[in-house]
Amino acid sequence: MKKGFIIFTVLFFLFLIPVRSYSSEPMKQLRVTVDKVLEILKRPDLKSPDKEELKRKLLREVISERFDFQEMAKRALARHWRKRTTQEKKEFVELFRTLLERTYLRRIEQYSDERIIYKDERIEPPYALVKTVVVTGQSVEIPIDYRLIQRSNDWKVYDVIIEGVSLVNNYRKQFVQIIRSSSYESLVERLRKKIK
Amino acid sequence: MRKIDIELLVGIFVIAGIFALGYISVNLGELEVWGKKGYTLYAEFEGIGGLKPGASVEIAGVTVGKVKSIRLTRDYTALVELEINNNVPLQDDAIASIKTKGLIGEKYVEITPGGSEHLLADGDKLRETESAVDLEGLLSKFVFGKVE
Repeated sequence: MKKGFIIFTVLFFLFLIPVRSYSSEPMKQLRVTVDKVLEILKRPDLKSPDKEELKRKLLREVISERFDFQEMAKRALARHWRKRTTQEKKEFVELFRTLLERTYLRRIEQYSDERIIYKDERIEPPYALVKTVVVTGQSVEIPIDYRLIQRSNDWKVYDVIIEGVSLVNNYRKQFVQIIRSSSYESLVERLRKKIK
Repeated sequence: MRKIDIELLVGIFVIAGIFALGYISVNLGELEVWGKKGYTLYAEFEGIGGLKPGASVEIAGVTVGKVKSIRLTRDYTALVELEINNNVPLQDDAIASIKTKGLIGEKYVEITPGGSEHLLADGDKLRETESAVDLEGLLSKFVFGKVE
């Protein structure tokens, strides 16, 4: 009887341990990426304007480790995604990634003395939500939530919600509207023009 | 014989009246007498900014369901129960947002359909949500952000 209890207890804790360490994984992984980004931004040897290209390259590498641009593009195109050929999908993901880079990389580079507070995390495998707050120098708080999806051992970001507004939904509405009023081809055309 | 006819007529009239009254009260009160008309989905929001049960659920401005109930979860978020019409399938990457009709109008739930192969079934959760945008909060942020 006593032996049975001990075995049960040991088994219980054995099962408990992996669950515990696993439960904080999304936030941990996101934090590693954000820290890497901040490190690049703070590096004094990359501050000069002629190093800008190198800095962007490094940022791009770090960010694409954590962000799943294909999932983002897929979600943004919504039901029009399935109608595309493999080649078109590939091309669209690349366009969408470049569009996001053009839009957000410059803002990231403007980083000065913001603090990032990791508030909360919710996990419903294979999905997770990590809530953060960016506090600017003037102590304005900007809530930024990350939605992540599990890909084997990695958690990848597929949506960013800033001030309650979803990035994917923002693009989804615009894309669907453009496709409805003209065509997919004209959406690709517009994106190309935008990122030139 | 003639007297019975009149009484019968009055009886039929009264019964018809009762049925009409019943029909009106069911329709106006939005009661569900003949069972559920749609399937139920749950959506969790950070803030719903005064969304009320009975508010409409819309896709592209078309009403496709309504808010059945709202309750507070243990994490202090709002869990909204939505009833969606059976003829409107939704994908698991559809996004539900709380919107306002006009600038100060009533709140409603807007859904932008997704493109996933997985359709949501009765009782499933709409994972992707956007909470009500706090206009006053944004305004104050904008104002304070400008002060240096």
